[in-house]
Amino acid sequence: MALPVLICDDSLLARKQVRKSLPESFDADILTAGNGVEALAILRSQEIGLVFLDLTMPELDGIGVLEAIKQEGLDCFVIVISADIQPEMQKRVTELGALAFVHKPVNPEKLVVILKQYGLI
Amino acid sequence: MSTVFSEEQRDCLQELINVAMGLASDKLARFLNTFVHLQVPAIELVSSAQIPAQFEARYSNTEAALVSQGFLGNDGLRGEAIVLYQLDNAHRIAALLGYDTDSASELEMLTDISSILTTTFLNGLADQIDNSLSYSAPRVLSSRQTNVSQALQETAFHWELALKVDISYQLIDHSFNCDMLLLIPGEAVSNIQHILDRILEEY
Repeated sequence: MALPVLICDDSLLARKQVRKSLPESFDADILTAGNGVEALAILRSQEIGLVFLDLTMPELDGIGVLEAIKQEGLDCFVIVISADIQPEMQKRVTELGALAFVHKPVNPEKLVVILKQYGLI
Repeated sequence: MSTVFSEEQRDCLQELINVAMGLASDKLARFLNTFVHLQVPAIELVSSAQIPAQFEARYSNTEAALVSQGFLGNDGLRGEAIVLYQLDNAHRIAALLGYDTDSASELEMLTDISSILTTTFLNGLADQIDNSLSYSAPRVLSSRQTNVSQALQETAFHWELALKVDISYQLIDHSFNCDMLLLIPGEAVSNIQHILDRILEEY
C-alpha cells in the first residue's frame, strides 16, 4: 500500500528536488505544503506516514512544526531537509524527534541511505 | 526583480542562495564559535546606479566598513562581492574572537569574516550550478566611514547590475548585521536566466 508522504518547503524548486530524489521503488502518495501552518493543517486532518520538512520557512518554521507534532502527539516520521546545517540545529531537531537531518541540496543518494536505514524501501 | 525573472526563476535563485547562505552561516558560526540564527536572505536585482541611495538610510547614523572581493569563474562568470558592516558591535566581536581592539586588528577581523562569508557563499552557489570560482584577496575599501553612499558610488560605478543579498545575522549574545552585494556585469542577467532555466528543466 502506498505510504502517505508530505513534502513541506516554501520553495517550489526544493519540493520538486525532494520528489525527484525519491527512488522509484518507494510507493508513496505525495502531498505538498508551502509552510509550517499548511503542513500542520494536513497533519491534523489525515494520516501521514512520513514528512520531509524544511526548517527556514515563513508563517511557521520547521522547528515550530516539530514542536507541534511532539506536543499534539501526531504520529509520523520526520526527515528534516535543511539549508541551515549548523551542528546546533541538527541537535535541536533530533531532540525534537526528527528521524534524520539531510543537508540541502537533496539528492537521490542522500535519501536512499536514510529510507533504507528505516526500512521504508 | 519580478520584471526580470519569472516567478519560477526567482524561486529557483532564492533556493540556490538559501543553500549557499546556509553553508556560509555554518562556517561563520564555527569561526565565531556560536550559533548563528539564519534568516531567509532577501534578494533583489537592481541597477548598480541605485545602490548608493538604497543603503544611504540604513547606514546614515552609524559608522560602517566596506570590504570587497573580486571573483572569476568559467563561462564568463565574474563580479565583485561587497560586504557592508555596521560597526556598532565590531569592538565587542573583535574582543570575543581574541583580536586586539585597535583599529588595525578590527580591519583584520572584518577582512577575515568577509572572506569566510564571501568565498563560502559563492563557492556554495558555484557548486550548485557546476561552476568553480577563483578570488582576489579581500580588501577594505573604507572603514569607520560615515559617507557610505559615496564609497559605494565609486565602486558600483564599474558595474551595471547588483544582486542585493540582505543578510541579517543574529548571534546568540549579540547582533551582527551586514549586507552583501554582488556587483555583476549587465550581460550576466541572460546568463543567470539561462542557468536557472537549465536547473528548472532538470526538475
